[in-house]
Amino acid sequence: MLTIIAWRNLWRNRTRSLIITTSVALGMWAGTFIMAIYFGMGEARLRIAIDNEVSHIQVHHPGFADDKEAKYNMPMDSLDQVFQQIPAIKAYSLRSVTTGMLATTSGSQGIQVNGVDPAAEQATRGMKDFVQEGDYLDPEKRNRVLVSTKLAQKLKLDIGNKIVLTLLDTANNITAGAFRICGLYHTNNAPLDELNVFVRKSDLDHLIGTAGRAHEAAILLHRDDDLDSVFQKLKQALPQYRIERWQEISPETALVLSSLDTYSLVFIFIILLALSFGIINTMLMAVLERTREIGMLMAVGMNKLKVFGMVVWETIMLAVVGAPVGLLAAWLTTLWLGHTGINLGPVMGESLRDFGYAPVIYPILPWHNVLQTMQLVLITAVVAAIFPALKALRLKPVEAIRT
Amino acid sequence: MQTVIDAHNISKVYNPDTIPVHAVNNVHLHLNRGEFTALVGPSGSGKTTLLNIIGGLDAPSEGQVVINGVDISNLKPNQLIDFRLHNIGFVFQAFNLIPVLTASENVEFIMLLQKKPKAERNKRVQELLASVGLSDKLDARPNQLSGGQQQRVAVARALASRPQFILADEPTANLDSHSAATLLDIMEKMNREEDVTFLFSTHDQRVIDRARRVITLVDGRIESDSAETQIKH
Ligand SMILES: Nc1ncnc2c1ncn2[C@@H]1O[C@H](COP(=O)(O)OP(=O)(O)O)[C@@H](O)[C@H]1O
Ligand SMILES: [Mg+2]
Repeated sequence: MLTIIAWRNLWRNRTRSLIITTSVALGMWAGTFIMAIYFGMGEARLRIAIDNEVSHIQVHHPGFADDKEAKYNMPMDSLDQVFQQIPAIKAYSLRSVTTGMLATTSGSQGIQVNGVDPAAEQATRGMKDFVQEGDYLDPEKRNRVLVSTKLAQKLKLDIGNKIVLTLLDTANNITAGAFRICGLYHTNNAPLDELNVFVRKSDLDHLIGTAGRAHEAAILLHRDDDLDSVFQKLKQALPQYRIERWQEISPETALVLSSLDTYSLVFIFIILLALSFGIINTMLMAVLERTREIGMLMAVGMNKLKVFGMVVWETIMLAVVGAPVGLLAAWLTTLWLGHTGINLGPVMGESLRDFGYAPVIYPILPWHNVLQTMQLVLITAVVAAIFPALKALRLKPVEAIRT
Repeated sequence: MQTVIDAHNISKVYNPDTIPVHAVNNVHLHLNRGEFTALVGPSGSGKTTLLNIIGGLDAPSEGQVVINGVDISNLKPNQLIDFRLHNIGFVFQAFNLIPVLTASENVEFIMLLQKKPKAERNKRVQELLASVGLSDKLDARPNQLSGGQQQRVAVARALASRPQFILADEPTANLDSHSAATLLDIMEKMNREEDVTFLFSTHDQRVIDRARRVITLVDGRIESDSAETQIKH
């Protein structure tokens, strides 16, 4: 019957309870939805990192990681042999990588030159899809280069222009080659775009003397879940090389993902803190209005624990009734926008891209976070209930019922 | 004769440190089972204070209250609440009922606190509300009942716990004379048929006339007690 009393008491002041309930619902909706956007951004960042940037796993010569000298390379045939034996590997790209200088008539800039097999690069990171203007690298055409639109803009380059790449070979001698720009590319990671140009691996090998060898192997898996098992296999098969997972190659992505939980928790916490003031205030008013009633109940024999429980119950109901509505609304919004996507491009412009995020976000609502939010709401309700309930306990029946 | 209330030497001083108010002075009160006693006196004579002390709602400045052999001043706060629940029925002047509960729920509630089984509760609620003439108002909320009907529900509620006695502080003060008479009829009937002990305060002469024993309080002292007068004569 305490539950019945609490529930009916809740609706004695309909407007007041509705305001609080609605605030809780709106707060939960906003909080959870923002959380979903966060997680959507995180998931998108993860997919971009894996599918378009670093792949799942990379293999390097241990010396290459410290200073990117051309002499730290690996024989391609031994890598091919290992990779082809692992069915979980979807595609891999063996690259020659070196740093150098890009010179044009209007200026020069330090860059990283990636010598790639056009087909393998397409299979691992979808490179061809990022070409905005002109053509992707043609396996048949010699000395073509793909530069980013960003770099082209900066150095006033265009398709068909000739540029000179000055590089260091395996013996640390300076070597140079002339390349013609075949296309302009544009990925979701603007900072990286500015630093990287792509040429055929055979052309680069020819310049720096790394035929049959590679500096970097990028491996894409069929499923994210196979990451650790493939990682272990590679460590065993290629103990002389450094094997790294995407978390190690792109620690900032891993950090962003791991801080999402904390962020959303803090966010929800702040919302709940604000709501709890409203809840406490409402319940204090309710207790004050019912001074006589509570005094009468204590007079006729309702003990303190029950009085306390009655107020706590009512507070919990007040706080919790709105939460599922808000969460449901957030879930529906997420479902809908998760399907259509939210295009932040027009609002945020290029700034999202500058941080490596796609402008269209597909919000996601992980179940465990929804449950966590529900728990937090419950905890907030209990904490918010304590003060009004103590207030009720301090009432003295004689004083309360004196007319 | 079984003693139900034995109050010795009760005094109550409000604000002893500032402007002391001697609300009750050196009162002795003895009540036996089955009595139907009125505590009368003008406003401010100390009726409410005395009833609150006897009912364990307030502590006396001096003296002791023994109910059914238990000295209630020795009870801890929660024990006292529990003692009230099982031994004393209360009818106040107003605000007796929980507004969000129906008449029958209000009566049932007290038995629920006593942890009585559902079947017993239901049966007693029906009986009690029938005997106060409210069989047709079982599901009415207090605000759908007249003042007199509300007080009848309060009497039923006070009886529901099967207390040693019922304390009623000016139960008819807010009622018209017809409703007051009906309430008194019901209280009398309960006293006669169920042997329930009543101690009620009033300053209404028509109510005083219905009491079998009248204790008159003036300035916190017992001025006369009809029981003693009878013995003397
Ligand atoms: N809480 C209190 N504080 C101070 N004085 C009080 C308080 N309650 C009652 N009194 C005083 O005690 C006296 C007796 O009051 P009360 O018991 O209410 O009398 P009655 O019920 O007969 O009208 C009155 O003078 C009243 O003003
Ligand atoms: Mg009074």
